[in-house]
Amino acid sequence: MKRRTFLTTALVGTGALALGVNLYSPSHVKISEALDEQHRLLFSLLIPVFLDGALPEIESQRIVAQNQTIEAIVATMGLLPDDSRAELEELLELLESRVGLLLLTGSMTPLLMRRPAELVEMLERWRASYLDMMITAYQGLRELVIASYYSSPEHWTRLNYNKPTFLN
Amino acid sequence: MAIQDPIQQGLASGWKHIDASQVTQAQTLEADVVIVGSGAGGGVAAEILSEAGLSVIIIEGGPLKSSESFNMEERRAYPNLYQQAASMKTKDKAIGIFQGRAVGGSTTVNWTTSIRTPQNALEYWAKEKSITGLSAESLKPWFEKMEQRLNISEWAYEPNRNNLALRQGCEALGWDFTVIKRNVAGCWNSGYCGMGCPVNAKQSMLLTTIPAALNRGATLVSRAKVSQIEHTNDKVYGLKAQALSESLKPTGVELLFKAKHYILSAGAIHTPTLMMRSKLPDPYHILGKRTFLHPTLLSGAMFNDPINGHAGAPQSIYSDQFVWQDGAEGELGYKLEVPPVHPILIASKTLGYGQSHAELMAKFNQLQVTIALVRDGYHPDSQGGQVRLTDSGFSLDYPLTDAFWHAARRAFASMAELQFAAGAKQVLPISEGMPYLSSWTEAKKAIAEMDLAPLKTVVASAHVMGGCPMGEDTKTAMVDSEGSSHYFDNLSVMDGSLFPTSLGANPQLSIYGITAKNASLLAQRLTAKPQ
Repeated sequence: MKRRTFLTTALVGTGALALGVNLYSPSHVKISEALDEQHRLLFSLLIPVFLDGALPEIESQRIVAQNQTIEAIVATMGLLPDDSRAELEELLELLESRVGLLLLTGSMTPLLMRRPAELVEMLERWRASYLDMMITAYQGLRELVIASYYSSPEHWTRLNYNKPTFLN
Repeated sequence: MAIQDPIQQGLASGWKHIDASQVTQAQTLEADVVIVGSGAGGGVAAEILSEAGLSVIIIEGGPLKSSESFNMEERRAYPNLYQQAASMKTKDKAIGIFQGRAVGGSTTVNWTTSIRTPQNALEYWAKEKSITGLSAESLKPWFEKMEQRLNISEWAYEPNRNNLALRQGCEALGWDFTVIKRNVAGCWNSGYCGMGCPVNAKQSMLLTTIPAALNRGATLVSRAKVSQIEHTNDKVYGLKAQALSESLKPTGVELLFKAKHYILSAGAIHTPTLMMRSKLPDPYHILGKRTFLHPTLLSGAMFNDPINGHAGAPQSIYSDQFVWQDGAEGELGYKLEVPPVHPILIASKTLGYGQSHAELMAKFNQLQVTIALVRDGYHPDSQGGQVRLTDSGFSLDYPLTDAFWHAARRAFASMAELQFAAGAKQVLPISEGMPYLSSWTEAKKAIAEMDLAPLKTVVASAHVMGGCPMGEDTKTAMVDSEGSSHYFDNLSVMDGSLFPTSLGANPQLSIYGITAKNASLLAQRLTAKPQ
């Protein structure tokens, strides 16, 4: 049922675009991929927000970096202990459902239909929340996305860092 | 340059190693002594007992990894070598915990800092915790033995720039500091101790005591998680373990271990967890309580010159200026050290995201980081955390008390004062809402007023201690001062879970020295001819 809801959401997004609403939409992520169990579409929305200023500026490189980060996130999630992964899955599924969104963000508007500034506003509300659950939701997503991004040597250019080459 | 891998060479020479992920049928293994865990306690015990002529089996929950797989990347090291892929946290997620999970335990991934148990801790244990026979004097020969065995000596080279800042700050302020002793031989000064030493210089258990035990015929079983201690009235008669797959999930194959004597060296979370799960007698409800973490605060500082905190021996200077300043039971003290600066570690242990975080990361090489490890477990308002069983494992509930936050505020101030004294241009206390501070005057005021709270202030730990305390009083201790169970003739505990408080110092040498003493006594007992 969740998948069907999500599909509807995607269609609503398309309809809104057709109406000329300036929506943020990552064209490099195929919707069919978003319908798998790895929450790829959701991460494709969150990555540019968490990594604004860190991702490469050139569009083609940026897309490669975003896709690498999604792969790293999927790999990271596979390494988490069952309890942590279950918690994270629950959060991701909430963010993909309208009721969950209402609960977590006070609005049923799908994340796909929110502008980056609105996503920042959502994260900032969680970050400053008086509810520990909201703060841990923010911190869990933040750590997952940021750690996954910086796990790849390809993403260390801006750090001016490379691991030593004495073993090469 | 190709590095010889002594572990691969040892395996080729015929070491008895069973990778339980490859075992397809239930097996029973027997020895004189079975040791659960291969870290600082299990490693030392294995060498001493096998030297005494006893047959030994070492069971390790993590994999056997060696230098050929240590590629200096966090993305490989964390899942291969750390508990929960280095994502372990306390129940409320306010403290991130780094603990090793591989052959060699945390010694495979620690930063090599080797400090004898502080005299203040030993005196407090003798006075308040019914511990007998552990004094600086009685432990001296055991520390000397292990210092010699593991080549522990003062770092003779210039500290890296990250540690140099700590020293320069202390010098400028007239604060105490010490050059760190490290367990290395032929160190390349590369800075990757935390990802497994790529050049086999770190004298971890993986490279020293475990190979020595294997050379004497001991058996190492890796990727096997001991799940149950089988026991009757006053005897343990077996250990049940689950074989784990390469991704460390149970394969369904069960292993049974039988021995004359059993040693738990699974570390300060897993030793008490295993005892609780096995329903070992605990009439005074001690197990899992008083678990200590040296909860640690971080302060970043921007320097004009390159710090390159990723390069060079990660820890070579510490300051004990504030550890025992108010006496053991007074206000919580804190030890000042520095951590290595690597991409995932720093990206995840700093705050925020987007532009502000990207700007911080762009100054990666200018970033000096100082840490303050808070000495927990002495003050009445510092009782540590509690490990509890859950359906799938355990949780560690560690309340951060007012006494801790009081120490945290003082620690942030000390770190900022030190960093400015060392030449920092800006200081960033790692706690939500704190801006870059540009002078000690500004920092002093801002830190005095800053909000400190769980989840708002970044708190980390790399030292897990307690949960199965030693002592002579059975109301407060599970094992005696020699690590022998108060309830079972043939069960000992040899790891950091023995400590009745935190140490106020990095724990590895305390575990080595105390285990060397206790394992030697046990070896005498087990090899004594019947009268």
